[in-house]
Amino acid sequence: MDTVTNWRERLISKTTRPTRVTTYKYWLWLGFLILITGNGAFQYWKQWQDGLYVTDMRDRISWGLYISMFIFFTGVSMAGTVISAMLRAANAQWRASITRVAEFITAFALMIGAGFIIVDMGRPERIFNVYIHGRWQSPIMWDVMAITTYLTASLIYLYAPMIPDLALYRDRLAGKVGAVRSFIYRTLALDWKGSPTQFKLLGKAITIMTLIIIPIAVSVHSVVSWIFGMTLRVGWNTAIFGILFVAGAVFSGLATLIIIMAVLRKTYHWEEYITERQFKYLGYMLASLALFMIYINVSEYLTAGFKFEEGSEFAFRQLFLEEFSGMFSFYIIFGLVVPVAIVLIPKTRTIGGIVVAAVLVNLAMFIERYFLVVTGLRVPLMPYEPASYSPNFVEWSIAASGVAMFCLLLTVTVKIFPMFAVWEMTEEHDAAMALTQAEETLMHEAAIAGPRLSTEVSPDSGRPAEGGAS
Amino acid sequence: MTYRHRLLSARVSISILAVATILVMAAPALAATVDIAVGAPDKVLVGQDVEVKAVLSEDGVPIEGAEVALTYQASLGGESTRVEIATGTTDETGTAVMFYEQRADDNGEMQVTYLGPGTNPVSPYVFTIAVEPGGEQLYRSESGVEIPFVNGTLVILLITGVWSLIALAAVYLVRVGREGRLEEVLSADDGSVWISVLLAIVAVITAIGMVIVFVRVPVLNTDLTDPEVYDRTQIAYIGATYPYQGFGLDEEPSAQSGDPAFDGGKVYFGYGCAACHGVLGQGAVVGPTLEDEIGSLAQFIDDIREGPRDMPAYGEATLTEADIEKIYRFLDEGG
Ligand code: HEC
Repeated sequence: MDTVTNWRERLISKTTRPTRVTTYKYWLWLGFLILITGNGAFQYWKQWQDGLYVTDMRDRISWGLYISMFIFFTGVSMAGTVISAMLRAANAQWRASITRVAEFITAFALMIGAGFIIVDMGRPERIFNVYIHGRWQSPIMWDVMAITTYLTASLIYLYAPMIPDLALYRDRLAGKVGAVRSFIYRTLALDWKGSPTQFKLLGKAITIMTLIIIPIAVSVHSVVSWIFGMTLRVGWNTAIFGILFVAGAVFSGLATLIIIMAVLRKTYHWEEYITERQFKYLGYMLASLALFMIYINVSEYLTAGFKFEEGSEFAFRQLFLEEFSGMFSFYIIFGLVVPVAIVLIPKTRTIGGIVVAAVLVNLAMFIERYFLVVTGLRVPLMPYEPASYSPNFVEWSIAASGVAMFCLLLTVTVKIFPMFAVWEMTEEHDAAMALTQAEETLMHEAAIAGPRLSTEVSPDSGRPAEGGAS
Repeated sequence: MTYRHRLLSARVSISILAVATILVMAAPALAATVDIAVGAPDKVLVGQDVEVKAVLSEDGVPIEGAEVALTYQASLGGESTRVEIATGTTDETGTAVMFYEQRADDNGEMQVTYLGPGTNPVSPYVFTIAVEPGGEQLYRSESGVEIPFVNGTLVILLITGVWSLIALAAVYLVRVGREGRLEEVLSADDGSVWISVLLAIVAVITAIGMVIVFVRVPVLNTDLTDPEVYDRTQIAYIGATYPYQGFGLDEEPSAQSGDPAFDGGKVYFGYGCAACHGVLGQGAVVGPTLEDEIGSLAQFIDDIREGPRDMPAYGEATLTEADIEKIYRFLDEGG
């Protein structure tokens, strides 16, 4: 068994590894991402010149891929909140090694998501008019408010727990990294010395943020759904949208986290810290959310379908039988049912299996966002022919560049910022070690005291599996 | 028979009952002598409560208990019809007082009609009441239910609360930095006091700014606490037209600055040429470009009078020759 210091040293060296070692594969990947982003930027430049006319959105279907991407990415941004804040609030003992990644995902996904709103604007330079002339009666205004708040809060929530780790980087990497990074560490570490007062103050900041970020996140995803739910359109006109969107956001956020964790784990050999246990727990969360999503869908389509108000027939036909039936059944079968099966069957409940489930979930959730937007707009409000829409090359390029930019941000971040909350992981580890030691002492005493006492101590009561393992 | 009874005045004695009975036998001829006199204001405002008095008499004798109706001529969607807006019953002085609220911005021809008792051979009394705009606005749809405390103030309080907490957390972070400073006063040159101060300033300013933005927005555009302003529905008189801020078709004086090209622009917009030919005559989806080769003025006038193909013809009554010439000058100078 390692000593605590050894364990910590190894963790630090593993954590800082990406900042020290860069292989050619990294540059290849970076180049690939820049290429896709660049193409998107070029297409956007075209859109900027000629207006939204260059897309395939028209008067009747005026929201398409961009808005779907917006919903998808704001959904993904739920990852940080759920994993990090909920687990932190619940004091789950296995969260420390995944919270940082989750928080980065939140911040980046939110930036990209909000960016798609601007992309969807014909006159993006007018964005600030929303702040100057906005009207509260418009749900769009609520959205602007919620997202601004969430972005600020999530940045602080990302930054606060990172301070001790930045200080660690400042101390450990001094002289080993370039001037820019040294400057970043020195500045952002805020003179962290690790004194008890500092820990106390930091704890207060983190507690405040943990408590408010969860309601803020829920509000963001509800408000996103209300942009749709506050209209009288068939298919959107339902109170269940808030729940559907929040649950869907947590769902796709979790899935994204699982995928990115798996990638980082493999790339930087972090198997010791991101273990099968975390994947399994996240997998269980994923499966229960999938079940919940199935329930929401059944509830929604049963209530709407039983009454079958005017317009519902068209909505149901396009979703269940005609144009969108392929997407819809993919979403239900591969996005909701199959992931549950993967997690529930012990044979497939492996890291690989769970990652496959996560990929399916993300695909399906993206598709869901898309068909919710488009089918809602497609139901004719007056006796005209239903319009048709499919994204064209410009739209796909810009959407792809959104994804690429998200990956790019993460890719660059890995090279600069600590992806593990080293101090929290050390605390967790210490607690686990203490527990093990306490148990050993107890066992020892029990052995001395004889069989009478031994019944009171169960050999592995709640001991974290990898806690003392080496 | 009831007709007869109702017609009798209270003061008619039983002794002349027989004579009256004989007179009433000639009902049609007799009823035609019923007189309707109406007292009503000449002018009213939209939204005003209007009192209309009708006095019914028969050969100078007031008729008690007769029913009358007040109607006006309403037209909607090309249909024109009489609409009853009030009814009344005459008292012993033969007077029926009717009230109505002026809703329409034009009453057309108003009438007081005799409804009964009995079939009605009396021709209605025709009059007019002119309507002037102004007064109280009508046809307001309430924006919903007002629930105490559930209003804009609550939203503002909520936002203020959330942002204060965010700022508070940021301030804690600043204190984290400060703490390190205090322990080793000015010894380390890797100090970052400035960043903590910067962070504090940014955090607090952002928080205050956000609150200001969101508090100010409703004040500027819609005061959430005032249901009058918060109404989502446009409030309008029926038939009222909002003053059009652009150039009106009947707004000739607007295009008399003296500079024909300048005026031509106004006329060009005012008559809707821009809708088809583009703002500067550069051509658009419907109409071709008028930028170059518009030809001679005579040809131009002919074109407009004729209205080639998909273009409406603008006759003398709509567009004067002088105005067309102005448009021509406007286009000639490159729009
Ligand atoms: C409803 C749309 C519409 C409006 C309004 C309209 N036009 Fe036209 N105009 C047309 C179309 C379409 C043509 C081309 C007809 C054809 O194919 O020959 C045309 C042709 C013309 C031409 C002949 C151009 C050429 O070289 O053949 C002139 C001049 C012209 N319009 C002037 C005007 C002016 C001045 C006005 C405003 C008073 C006006 N138009 C309003 C649709 C419109």
